[in-house]
Amino acid sequence: MNNPVTSIKLVLLGEAAVGKSSIVLRFVSNDFAENKEPTIGAAFLTQRVNIDDHTVKFEIWDTAGQERFASLAPMYYRNAQAALVVYDVTKPQSFIKARHWVKELHEQASKDIVIALIGNKVDILDDDPNERKVAKEEAEKLAQEENLLFFETSAKTALNINEVFLKIGENIPLKNANDGNGDGINVTDNQRVNLAASADATANASACSC
Amino acid sequence: MGVRSASYSNGMSEKDTTKSTSLVTSLMKSWRISSTSSSPASSSSESLHNSNQHHHSKSALASDSPFYPSPIHNPNTDSRHSIDSNIESNSRRGSTRKYSSSSQDGNFDAMAKQTASMRKSSKGASSYSPLRYISPSMTNLESPRSSFFRQHHTRNTHHNQYYHNTLGNNTNNTSDPTIGVSLPTGSSENVSAENITSNGGHHNNKYFQDLDEDWSAVIDDYNAPIPILLNGGKGEQNNSLSRTSTNSSVTNLKSSLQYPQLPLIETRSREEIENEKELQKLNSMMQRITKFDSILNNKHIINLKELRQISWNGIPKPHRPVVWKLLIGYLPANKNRQETFLKRKRQEYAEGLKHTFSDQHKRDIPTWHQIEIDIPRTNPHIQLYQFKTVHESLQRILYLWAIRHPASGYVQGINDLVTPFYQTFLTEYLPQSQIDDVENRDPATYLTETQLKDVEADTFWCLTKLLEQITDNYIHGQPGILKQVKILSQLVKRIDIDLYEHFQIEHVEFIQFAFRWMNCLLMREFQMSAVIRMWDTYLAETSIDTSSSVSTSLTNDLTAPQTPTLRTASTFSTPPGNTVASPHTPSSNRYNSVTTLTSLNKEETDTTKVKQSSLNEFHVFVCAAFLIKWSDQLCEMDFQEIITFLQNPPTKDWDETDIEMLLSGAYIWQSLYKDATSHWL
Repeated sequence: MNNPVTSIKLVLLGEAAVGKSSIVLRFVSNDFAENKEPTIGAAFLTQRVNIDDHTVKFEIWDTAGQERFASLAPMYYRNAQAALVVYDVTKPQSFIKARHWVKELHEQASKDIVIALIGNKVDILDDDPNERKVAKEEAEKLAQEENLLFFETSAKTALNINEVFLKIGENIPLKNANDGNGDGINVTDNQRVNLAASADATANASACSC
Repeated sequence: MGVRSASYSNGMSEKDTTKSTSLVTSLMKSWRISSTSSSPASSSSESLHNSNQHHHSKSALASDSPFYPSPIHNPNTDSRHSIDSNIESNSRRGSTRKYSSSSQDGNFDAMAKQTASMRKSSKGASSYSPLRYISPSMTNLESPRSSFFRQHHTRNTHHNQYYHNTLGNNTNNTSDPTIGVSLPTGSSENVSAENITSNGGHHNNKYFQDLDEDWSAVIDDYNAPIPILLNGGKGEQNNSLSRTSTNSSVTNLKSSLQYPQLPLIETRSREEIENEKELQKLNSMMQRITKFDSILNNKHIINLKELRQISWNGIPKPHRPVVWKLLIGYLPANKNRQETFLKRKRQEYAEGLKHTFSDQHKRDIPTWHQIEIDIPRTNPHIQLYQFKTVHESLQRILYLWAIRHPASGYVQGINDLVTPFYQTFLTEYLPQSQIDDVENRDPATYLTETQLKDVEADTFWCLTKLLEQITDNYIHGQPGILKQVKILSQLVKRIDIDLYEHFQIEHVEFIQFAFRWMNCLLMREFQMSAVIRMWDTYLAETSIDTSSSVSTSLTNDLTAPQTPTLRTASTFSTPPGNTVASPHTPSSNRYNSVTTLTSLNKEETDTTKVKQSSLNEFHVFVCAAFLIKWSDQLCEMDFQEIITFLQNPPTKDWDETDIEMLLSGAYIWQSLYKDATSHWL
């Protein structure tokens, strides 16, 4: 269990009620709640996954979606290495908002940020395909133009959720805890966390191999 | 006699202190603060005062002393004595009364603990009180925690009336429920002294001897069935309750007599203590209900000032709906106007809806949808908020509010804030025994269409009143919240530098966890029942400045009667030699106990303070108390643990007592820092 640990700071952005918190809840706790209270400000969660012989620790800021809270977002994406821009495949308005977020991230966030475009709630389409209001092709096109990862997901059925995070992990250069920038504080920090949560990490390793 | 009663109050405090464990840590921090502030009172001078007081009492009793001026209406020696010593002991009234009375009240145990521990610090606690409305200014107001005294006084009155045949002459003393309970302010010595005398008189039946030394008589008398006069003799209910409680206080008395300085917890079994606490709780509850009744049943104008003071410490469930409406400045204090007013406002709301949903009005689709999305996500764990009736009501309330307040519009969090009102106003239509069921029942099953609409309208107006006071929290950029977060961080920096620095080292920013605290008034942190209890205090807090707030001109009309009274009170309340500038605003009078700290800038801060919402301000202190409560744990955590902990604090099982401890803690910080916060921005 002495895998080197890499931390990835990840932020979720997107219109209100597209399922940002549900995606995180599924990824972190493999759980789903039908009516989750709206996120206020932002929520912080972490999860570890093993990718090859590396442990990746995701430090996730799940931001509030409502427009009024948007001014807080820069604080959370400023230092992020990855971003999930989420929309609801049944809500065209949410896709417009997603475009805005992508644009803002390209302008404001760090240059090498890995962005994934996520069309959530595809489980609704299983019952009624006519509910789809955002064509997959349209989203794929945007992803291609803007150089984004792209997934359609369902937090409810767990479809593609872990895949999103694994893909992001693959796309971010994994640092060995011992090389990197040689940041002393980071090393002790990682070790401490590692000791405390090693059992956790084992559990996740199996969970994520699906 | 004096020794005995003094040790009684000490003993109680001592006992409570030993029981308090978690509080000690937080108080350690308060000592740190109090040792840096300049507090004139010292415990030694206080005890000196105590003994003086005792001598006065005794001589007054023994000699029918000529040193005390006679009150106009009272030929009764005992009563006069009580009044005289009240006046005489004015300077230290707050502290003594506080210690002994609060320990009688189970619900306020927490506060008693705090004061008890504070007393142990070398700085006298008398310079500030965590019990808001037991400040020296409150000469004529009942504290809900004075149930102990209340009992003794009413009993005492009874004896006096009976044996001295002075029926009817005591109305200016103890038989009036309002004034009567304020009299115990004096000191515990007085009360006991009087009891002994009158009880002795009882034993020797109509011979008016001085029976100070007849100790057995006292105890026997305590155990004898004695009719209790509650509500100033207007009613005789709760007889059995009061009696049992009296008996239990004898037990306390006895045990504390022996070694007042030692912890006495071992001398009584846990069950006994629990029983007593239960009884005290019940007893004080009945007392409070009576008190609320007497305020609310006023035929003409309800005394809002008094209502606020008593509400700060919690409102009985049956009274809550109407008291909230009064406190927030919705329902007029003038009873003759209430009915027509409610009718008019409910009509106004109905017309607002009618207009909004008519063809003339273009629906604000994004707002409507946002609310629609959030309604099912509001309190998803409470059954009440899953019913269609409730969904529709809340949707209308929030939408109408949003389009009527375009500068703010609907902001997530407001959907949380509406629910305590709605839920509380529903209980108005439930029988008392079913009030707790409100969270499980569909209102449509027990309310008529009209009643539902009334609840909805009342909720709308009260939400409007509340949000009026915290508008800055929800307008663009949410400056109100940012400001509060900043004040919180500055407060913590001063109160708990270790925690503040630890946060800096771990790169924890206050906004990362405190934003939600401000945006939802800590509603996400507690269970609904605890939130509602917290709102008793918040609404009592809100409305005090409503009368002087520029933003709420409408309420002036509704709450006008209280402003002059408050001013009058402030002149009495100024502790001699403590203030440089006299308080000019109603709001300042509550904080004069710390005027030494801030008296120099008082004049200028007062003028700026008036414009601030006192709700927001008090809330920051609650947040500070809440954060510092976990200080020791937080200082051991890293960034991730801190944020995770604060997002999910272990408060799910917090009950009213926990909330009351939090509020009293906040009160202490506020009395220390209130006038300083504006300089930190």
